[in-house]
Amino acid sequence: MVWQDLFRLALGSITSHKQRSLLTALGLIIGIAAVVILTSIGRGVHGFVLGEFTQFGTHLLAVYPGKTTTFGLSGATISTVRPLTAADAESLQSVESVLAAMPLVQGNARIEACGKQRRSNVFGVGPALPQVWRIGVDIGRFLPEEGADNARPFAVLGSKVRQELFGEASPLGQRIRIGSDRFRVVGVMRSKGQMLGFDLDDTVFIPSARAMEMFDRQGLMEIDVLYRGDASAERVEQAVKQRLLARHGAEDFTIVTQNQMLEKMDSVLSVLTLAVAALGGISLLVGSVGILTIMTIAVSERVAEIGLLRAIGAERGTVFRLFLAEAVLLSLAGGSGGVGLGVGVVKLVAVLLPALPVQLAWNYIGLAFAVSLAIGAAAGVAPAVKAARLKPLDALRAE
Amino acid sequence: MLHRDLLIQAVKAIRTQPLRAALIILAMSIGVASVNVLTALGDSARRYVVHEFESLGTHLVIVLPGRNETTGGHPPLFGETPRDLTLDDAAALFRSRQVAAIAPVSIGSAPVSVAGLERETNIMGSTHSLLRVRHLTMAQGVFLPEAEADKELPVCVIGKKIADELFARRKAVGEWLRINDRRFRVVGVLAKEGQSIGTGFDELVIVPVASAQALFDSHSLFRILIEAHSEAAMHKAVDEVRAIIKLRHEGEDDVTIITQDSVVNTFDKILTALTLTVAGIAAVSLAVAGVLVMNVMLVSVSQRTAEIGLLKALGATRGQLLRWFLCEAALLSLAGALCGSLLGRIGIEALQWWFPNFPVALPAWAMLAALAVALATGLVFGVMPARRAAALEPVAALNRR
Repeated sequence: MVWQDLFRLALGSITSHKQRSLLTALGLIIGIAAVVILTSIGRGVHGFVLGEFTQFGTHLLAVYPGKTTTFGLSGATISTVRPLTAADAESLQSVESVLAAMPLVQGNARIEACGKQRRSNVFGVGPALPQVWRIGVDIGRFLPEEGADNARPFAVLGSKVRQELFGEASPLGQRIRIGSDRFRVVGVMRSKGQMLGFDLDDTVFIPSARAMEMFDRQGLMEIDVLYRGDASAERVEQAVKQRLLARHGAEDFTIVTQNQMLEKMDSVLSVLTLAVAALGGISLLVGSVGILTIMTIAVSERVAEIGLLRAIGAERGTVFRLFLAEAVLLSLAGGSGGVGLGVGVVKLVAVLLPALPVQLAWNYIGLAFAVSLAIGAAAGVAPAVKAARLKPLDALRAE
Repeated sequence: MLHRDLLIQAVKAIRTQPLRAALIILAMSIGVASVNVLTALGDSARRYVVHEFESLGTHLVIVLPGRNETTGGHPPLFGETPRDLTLDDAAALFRSRQVAAIAPVSIGSAPVSVAGLERETNIMGSTHSLLRVRHLTMAQGVFLPEAEADKELPVCVIGKKIADELFARRKAVGEWLRINDRRFRVVGVLAKEGQSIGTGFDELVIVPVASAQALFDSHSLFRILIEAHSEAAMHKAVDEVRAIIKLRHEGEDDVTIITQDSVVNTFDKILTALTLTVAGIAAVSLAVAGVLVMNVMLVSVSQRTAEIGLLKALGATRGQLLRWFLCEAALLSLAGALCGSLLGRIGIEALQWWFPNFPVALPAWAMLAALAVALATGLVFGVMPARRAAALEPVAALNRR
């Protein structure tokens, strides 16, 4: 039998039981659509989290005080007997391939201006922040380049702090009080939004030396190092390590590169997507049992037809292929229907709920489609074998 | 038709098609089993986390320095403030009658060495009250002595892992160890706690808070942990603590106060939502199984047209036929649900065997809900075929052959 005929016969027997075929395909459609939707959410969350991390750029490494072997927050961030100093940050500027090294001290204080006050994050940073963290300055300018020892009391506001304290009035040149010290506003940052829970817009940036003074701290909490895009991350890490070793005499610091962090994050999130795909796969499995059931019924129903086919000279292989083609066609219909439904729902969600990050995971969609075909073929084999094994005479006599 | 007859008829009808029935039951049981296993996992994770938090101590109030204006943002868990919490602040909190115990905590990191062995670890400064507030247990020796908080004493209590690493096969209690350039005598070793939320007590050295402040050359506290007398007192304590701190900080309300039950509730809510989501996703497979039940019942109605016609000719009413087919669908899904529950049980036991440390148990409500949903699915999807069977015209049905 040529394959066109095979196709036509299989299609004919499917359309002769419209409702039954539709319901069989529906089982698969639901299963596939579940996989498509769930993996899209998984991929969306994946992209969202990675985006949060890479918004600061990828050529970054961070140096923390203290050498800890435990994972998690090191006590050294709070206080340590071996602090990282502003001089360390300055020295790292001159390491090969390093574009900028930015000291960081983070805290929380009361901000007062024009008779209004609010409590906000206070970041003691270096002048390189806009470059290192990739945040643009909206109006005015960022903290000027000057030595850590004689940093002038300038402050740059996050967009939310500006809005709350000054409203529409220009804050440039105004004096504000942070804690008990007075600062002059020289600029306002562009809105950056939340970064893993930290609202960077609800933040005031001041020179790190001033922050250390205000918070009565000996050392920095972190040094962020930005290196040239063409430099190898390992080489820079080694160079930074050598420099700090030479300065401190012992390895009393921890270096975390963006790549290490991203790799860890990436693998965790991929497992997440895989897990939800597996969850959706359960309904796919149930759908495949449906195809198996219906094909089994079809064979037992059509014993007479098979007998007739065999009597007029159809070979066993032909009967086998006929039933297999039917199963594959059914699952093909279910698969494409499911992909269509899933993609449709995902697009709809993207339009209706822009806050929920969804992203079509085409490799998973392809996989789900392939799996549906495989399921059809696999579920079709047993009934097809059963059909092919029927003896023509017995089969004809069955009716 | 009597109920018994109805049941016997339905069972007979199912038994004439064993393979078909087995496949439907298989599909249904996959769905039920996955709902069971996933709910059990989610619920166990929830209970595990809640238990972890509760083991931090009951009626716990945590005072952190600093406050963010925007509500809804997370509190400043670490970071500095211009006005620190001090030991005097902690002592002043005793003015509140709701307070049973106060443990000031300062934290930092420093190298710890014993006879040439050195490692960097977290140092916690606190007082004797920490033992009570955090519900710590001692493996050997005693905890920090009861003394005035501002007294520097050269004694320390070490975690299990630190004891194993620095005093391998030696008794640690009574030995001296060096933290940076100061010497401390080990008076006790903590029992193995595992990773408690936030801090790994196994890798911690606890010294008197004044000694820690001298070590790190700072007078600020990282947190103040307060145990209230009772749960009711906890909420009063929060207001009183805020008032006392405000009085001491020149009228400024610059601390964040977290109660333990609010933290537990938040996690409880998040994890419950997660469990329900996962169970809901698994329940989609029950819908698929329902579609299968409907499909197969429809096929069997069309196959048994003659039989139905005969029954009707003999005087069976529509209602009786409807009940008969519904009963068949219900029996099939009940069998599937029971098999699925059994399968889920086996899956949970297997998980339990694999991960003995993580207690997995299925709450009774979840198991019953899965059973009920499966049964309901079978019935709902059985209605259409049953109605079709009942609606057949007897003459036409008999004529078909």
